[in-house]
Amino acid sequence: MPIFKLLINGESRTVDVEPDMPLLWVLRDELQLTGTKFGCGVASCGACTVLLNDTATRACVTPVQIAAGQAITTIEGLSATGDHPIQQAWEEINVPQCGYCQSGQMMTLAGLLKANKKPSTAEIRLAMDGVLCRCGTYHRIQQAVQKAIENYNK
Amino acid sequence: MKKVPISRRRFIQLGAFTGSGFMLGVYPTDWVQAAQDLPEDCPYFQPNAYIRIEKNGSIIIFVAKQESGQGVNTSLPMIVAEEMEVDFQQVHTEVAPFGSLPAGAHDTGGSQSVPGTYDDLRKAGAVARTMLINAAAQKWQVDPHLCKAEKGAVVHALTGNRLTYGALACDAALMPVPTEVTLKNVKDFTIIGKEQRKRNQKDILTGKVKYGIDLQIPGMAYAVVARCPVRGGSISSVDDSEAKAVPGVLKIVQFEGTGKPMHVHAGVAVIARNVWAAMKARRMLKIVWNEGPNNHESSKDLFQRFEQKSKETPKQIVHTLGDVAQIKAPAKRSFSAQYAAPFLAHATMEPVNFIAKANAEQCEIWGGLQLPDWAVGEIANSCKLKKENIKVNLALMGGAFGRRLQFDFAIEAVKIAQQFDQAVKVIWDRTDDLRFDNYRPANFHRLQANWDEKGQVQSWQHHVLTTPVAFSTDGPEAKEPAEMLGGASKDFWYGIPNIQTGYTPIEFNLQCGWLRGVEPVVNVFPIECFVDELAQKLKKDPLQFRLSLLEGRPAFSAKFNDNWSQPVDPGRLATVLKLAAEKIGWDAPRPKNHFMGIAGHLFFCNSYAAHAIEIEKLGKKHFRLVRIVVAIDCGVVINPDGLRSQMEGGTVFGLGQALRNEITVENSQVVEDSFYAYQLARYNDVPPIEVYTVPSEAAPGGAGEVGVATVAPALCNALAAAGMRPRRLPLQKAGYTWET
Repeated sequence: MPIFKLLINGESRTVDVEPDMPLLWVLRDELQLTGTKFGCGVASCGACTVLLNDTATRACVTPVQIAAGQAITTIEGLSATGDHPIQQAWEEINVPQCGYCQSGQMMTLAGLLKANKKPSTAEIRLAMDGVLCRCGTYHRIQQAVQKAIENYNK
Repeated sequence: MKKVPISRRRFIQLGAFTGSGFMLGVYPTDWVQAAQDLPEDCPYFQPNAYIRIEKNGSIIIFVAKQESGQGVNTSLPMIVAEEMEVDFQQVHTEVAPFGSLPAGAHDTGGSQSVPGTYDDLRKAGAVARTMLINAAAQKWQVDPHLCKAEKGAVVHALTGNRLTYGALACDAALMPVPTEVTLKNVKDFTIIGKEQRKRNQKDILTGKVKYGIDLQIPGMAYAVVARCPVRGGSISSVDDSEAKAVPGVLKIVQFEGTGKPMHVHAGVAVIARNVWAAMKARRMLKIVWNEGPNNHESSKDLFQRFEQKSKETPKQIVHTLGDVAQIKAPAKRSFSAQYAAPFLAHATMEPVNFIAKANAEQCEIWGGLQLPDWAVGEIANSCKLKKENIKVNLALMGGAFGRRLQFDFAIEAVKIAQQFDQAVKVIWDRTDDLRFDNYRPANFHRLQANWDEKGQVQSWQHHVLTTPVAFSTDGPEAKEPAEMLGGASKDFWYGIPNIQTGYTPIEFNLQCGWLRGVEPVVNVFPIECFVDELAQKLKKDPLQFRLSLLEGRPAFSAKFNDNWSQPVDPGRLATVLKLAAEKIGWDAPRPKNHFMGIAGHLFFCNSYAAHAIEIEKLGKKHFRLVRIVVAIDCGVVINPDGLRSQMEGGTVFGLGQALRNEITVENSQVVEDSFYAYQLARYNDVPPIEVYTVPSEAAPGGAGEVGVATVAPALCNALAAAGMRPRRLPLQKAGYTWET
């Protein structure tokens, strides 16, 4: 199998996997970065969202050979101590219930804010509508998004 | 302060389980907790399975109910800590290992975690506190009544002497277990009723938290399964030559299906070094299935059968009051309507998965199980193991909503692992998860009411038709399949002199199971829409009409059978309806084209809730969700933030059912295969939600499910006020569109 060099959360990692293996499974099962979640495998729920060169990307449909050479950021790299403005906002609003989708929620917003520090309501709705939460924390996510944008622009 | 007896020395009998056993049938009727044997060197004081105080002062509270997002990892230890008199921030919490408590203690369902264990957990905390006080009093040679516990220490009132719980641990361990303990007054609570962050919130937000799907067992392989698409089918032939050639594939194994209670589908499992290899190889399998005789049913035909059968006499009469037959009324004083709702899938965000390591004699399993004792018994039966040779490791669940009350996936994983020499993690992809669920039954309702010349409703008839869970779990011979009658049966809350509820179960070859909100969700939609329709017919305000059928009615006990009675207080229901109405501004002037709907109900966990929803009509079958208000009376509130969270989440869960969720069946196979087809509530579906709580000192009720049932009827009632009257869910299917 081919060897791929990946730059994940600022660290260089090497994996020996099939080139079409989705980044999701490489992160979770080869590198034990389980903060990125499997939700559907067909980009329909957003649970696996990571940043590829600062762009929010669904890891479940991104083959590792595409991700190689790009800067990959996962929830573990957003801030290990939980003090990223988005994590702080999520903490302040007490967003999570089961928590399973929340890394995808936060990484989606992180991608949006990388592109635009002050996104419009329409841009927020477009981005966040693609990430599903079965516990129904959307009401708090809506508040936390506003809080995170405030924190981010401080 | 009230004194409560604790029976037996060295054994703490913590009373009868107060929850109802009707739904799951496996709740224990009582449980007795053996005190831990005292270790020689006394590393810690453990008066019962819930509490450990170490010599170094660490206080650990063990949580028996399992966390799946509902917040029991926070609310339950709060109850223990309250009576222990410790600072909640200083307490560590841990999952109580399976086997550390009697059978049934880990069962998590029916919104029973708080109401079912509140008294026991208080007693457990009070026992620890009492033994620590007695230890300090003995040490100081003083009267224990002059000592009090505060913030993890015992203080002597006269001298001010103070010893921490850690310092007292080994002395407390030598104290006799008290025969009775004193519980705190509700008004003296310092932890219960104060907001607490979810205990694992930080780990969730940093990606450190481990759900079942994240666990790694040394040497573990991964498996995905091709399952017979029809329940009850079998494997005719398998050609796995191409699949075997996929790099990374380790072994391909077959297993037979099982019957009741869980109906594991026959399947072929690809075991591989990684999930991706297993998924690729599964596509290469060439399998011929024998689908069996029941392979041509469809949900479309089912609803036609429902409709037809609804006109016939119900198979069972489950509730009778007065005599509906004698109430005759002309057509102008009579009304009938039909309502329907589809099969639903759980669709937890963490897809079903399970880990097992097993051989012919023993096994170890890892994963989320809401009813682990029942699961272990059935795994033993299905896999020819002895129960005592099954080691269970319970895992955090990324949502459950009843999916893990079922345990088909656990039996399946053990069957696979028995054919492999290492641990196997079975991963279900989303298509597997949606197509092999245990579905909330499809249901249909025919209601009819008559009223007299003064506009007083004289009779109410409700015919419920569904595909019962009991037919799946117990077989078609199930004696009492009327499980879908919560709300429509003896617990019906409206005061009408003549009532009859009938029930007709229909056989359908699809595995059905319990979904968050269970039977009240099924029945409250038709009941709360129909009562609203009656108000419209009688030209009465829908809120006032409901109150006229509730207020002044005394509380009563609905006795379903010898083991299950449900207290019903129409007054508490009236209170939540009024609170929701007040907060949404029911009587206030409204902007043009704005309309409101309301609905209330009692959930069988002793909680009452009402939703009031405001919409703006934007066109034919097109509306905007403006605002949702929910009012809740669940007695004593343990964690106010947790309660709000559950009510918001329940509201969104109910909104998804009202707007989008639907499972359809063709050829006895589920059609939906991803979230593109089985649509959930989304970010942009959710308007502002406000939660209001009725202050109460009543015994606490549950909060996990009571927020779901009244969303769909409140929304449909708002649409009716705007001139639309949907009677079938989801609205999307009926051509409705919406915005927020």
